[in-house]
Amino acid sequence: MRKFLRKVFLIDLIQGLWVTFRYQQPKFIYTEQYPAQRPKIAERFRGAPRLNVNPETGETLCIACNLCALACPENLIVVGSERDEKTRRKILTTFTYDISRCMFCGLCEDACPVDALELTQDFELASYSREGAVWDRQMLEEGPRPTKYAY
Amino acid sequence: MPDSTFLDATELVLNMGPQHPSTHGVLRVILKLDGEKVIGTECVIGYLHRGIEKIAENRTYAQFAPYVDRMDYVAAVSNGLGYCLAVEKLLGVEAPPRAQAVRVILTELNRIASHLIWLGTHALDVGAITPLFYCMREREEILNIFEKYCGARLTTHAFRIGGLQYELYDTFEQDVRAFCDMLLPKVDEYEELLTGNRIWIGRLKNVGILTAEECKAYGVTGPLLRAAGVPWDLRKAQPYSGYEQYDFEIPTGTNGDSYDRYLVRIQEMRQSVRIIRQALDGLPGGPIMGKVPKVIKPPVGEVYVSIEAPKGELGYFIVSDGSTQPYRVRVRPPSFVNLQALDRMCRGALVADVVVVIGTIDIVLGEVDR
Amino acid sequence: MAELPPEGKPQPARKAQPAGKPPAPMAATPWEDELTLQLRAKFGEQILEFSSYLGQNFLIARREAVIPILEYLKAEAGFDYLVDVTAVDYPERAERFDLVYILYSFARNQRIRIKTRIPEGFRPASAVPVYPTANWLEREIFDMFGIEFAGHPDMRRILMPEDWTGHPLRKDSSILDMDQRWVRQHLGIESGQ
Repeated sequence: MRKFLRKVFLIDLIQGLWVTFRYQQPKFIYTEQYPAQRPKIAERFRGAPRLNVNPETGETLCIACNLCALACPENLIVVGSERDEKTRRKILTTFTYDISRCMFCGLCEDACPVDALELTQDFELASYSREGAVWDRQMLEEGPRPTKYAY
Repeated sequence: MPDSTFLDATELVLNMGPQHPSTHGVLRVILKLDGEKVIGTECVIGYLHRGIEKIAENRTYAQFAPYVDRMDYVAAVSNGLGYCLAVEKLLGVEAPPRAQAVRVILTELNRIASHLIWLGTHALDVGAITPLFYCMREREEILNIFEKYCGARLTTHAFRIGGLQYELYDTFEQDVRAFCDMLLPKVDEYEELLTGNRIWIGRLKNVGILTAEECKAYGVTGPLLRAAGVPWDLRKAQPYSGYEQYDFEIPTGTNGDSYDRYLVRIQEMRQSVRIIRQALDGLPGGPIMGKVPKVIKPPVGEVYVSIEAPKGELGYFIVSDGSTQPYRVRVRPPSFVNLQALDRMCRGALVADVVVVIGTIDIVLGEVDR
Repeated sequence: MAELPPEGKPQPARKAQPAGKPPAPMAATPWEDELTLQLRAKFGEQILEFSSYLGQNFLIARREAVIPILEYLKAEAGFDYLVDVTAVDYPERAERFDLVYILYSFARNQRIRIKTRIPEGFRPASAVPVYPTANWLEREIFDMFGIEFAGHPDMRRILMPEDWTGHPLRKDSSILDMDQRWVRQHLGIESGQ
């Protein structure tokens, strides 16, 4: 008899509907209003690369050892350097990074011995052309430039 | 008008094309129908073939690890675990106990994430739209934990050969415990929404039955085999990465139909929470990286290592020729082998049941096609 | 906006082996237990070697004996689950391909590998009558390596498109060549790779 009543009065369906109705309170809203609300990104997030610069002197931290280029599975880093005759060290001249083929695996960041190459929290990497996805040293040192929206 | 024979045709060939909301990816199923009854099916795959096995022959062992995540992209951590275990076996190194425990925690979180997506999308295919939102909300918490740990939500590249790259972040234990505490009542909620629901039972019971003998014959593993009644789980049968220390049950079903598979996966989520709590309680200290040479050059040989991925038995057959690059990496994808049984499961079903069966096998086309 | 990067330094030579030599044999240890005794008694010298590497047992058989061995293992020894069928290409060897079958027994909780060497052009017998799992697995081997299986119910390409020529996982199929061929044929321009 009980089963018959359960069936006729749609109890199992009403139980499910009750779960859904419980979530109608505004405090359960989970949606993030992007781009007005930017998400909180973790510190270790592997986003856009950045070439770090010594904050006091303004010189690049990169020692042009080429380890990042060797570590990259896609071979998209090209490190140009020249040898300084006086100190017998390599000086970085050009550094090119192709974002369009990068899979943000973090192997280059792990390989860098001086923490010069770092993957930041920037994920807004769209550009209007294919060439815009190839970043040179100046773009890499400037770092992320998120667009501010006026609301 | 001539006595046209095409009007008497009883067999209709319908294309459930690669673009379809219910095929879980780019899967093309050619259905031979008699009215609405399915007489035969044929799967056409390969739309997502990226040549990962060929790429492996041109990358070093460490460089290939990020590519492995892209196969089963829903549960990327398991793929990484299988690959790292296989290369570590070739090298003869073992990850230290702390790394193994953290690997277990992340892999079980990843199993819950995969089952959440499965539940959400399967329910959506059948018509129940609500569980999708709830499952995605829980999955967000897991992905946040992954992001805080290794830096990426989906293609995690969480493990390295020999152990882990990153030490646990500060609030890891709190986050994971909070997540486990939050998840169990939510799983009860999903059950409340679906398990007793007459529409769900009507759509899923006795649909896509695959008996234990057929499962073994077709090489089907994972929740499908367990729902058919065979209590076989690689984590218990051939434990890896410290699973023998943890106490958990293997949920099994009786009929081998879609409803049993649903129940098995729900229970697996609960068992995963149990394993995570045990692993967190007993988390050892110590190093996180084993003794691995700087240049990974395993001796000449071959090895086959398989793990219990959320979808079945994921195996890696790696042949090394002594150089820094693998000679052949063969990935035995569970979804590829499980999808073969689609034809068997759809005999005599209706078209709507094909959607249910594809959902219940839990395929990810990235893994089927590699 | 930046211009395209200059030509990078060429990557170091990828092959450690001198070209033209097959890789060195692996340091396998011999494998003896009651299963090998049974197999040896039944098949005699059709099985060339019983070895074990890193705790994983495998045997190397003559190519005609593989299907009878699979049938025997399924019927008598309880290996009821075919885990994988795959192939490895060693172009420098006369018998170019290594065909590998991996079996698992639920009762014994044991895996076993059966390997055989086949030359190019040889059509091995299909394992589908023994294990239905082998259906798609053998289709993939045909697609990737070009090894046709005799007696397979549906021998055609599975992953690559139907009109593809060539077999991608062979060592002499270069990715760049395949890309250039496809782009020239379908788009009519030169590929920029």
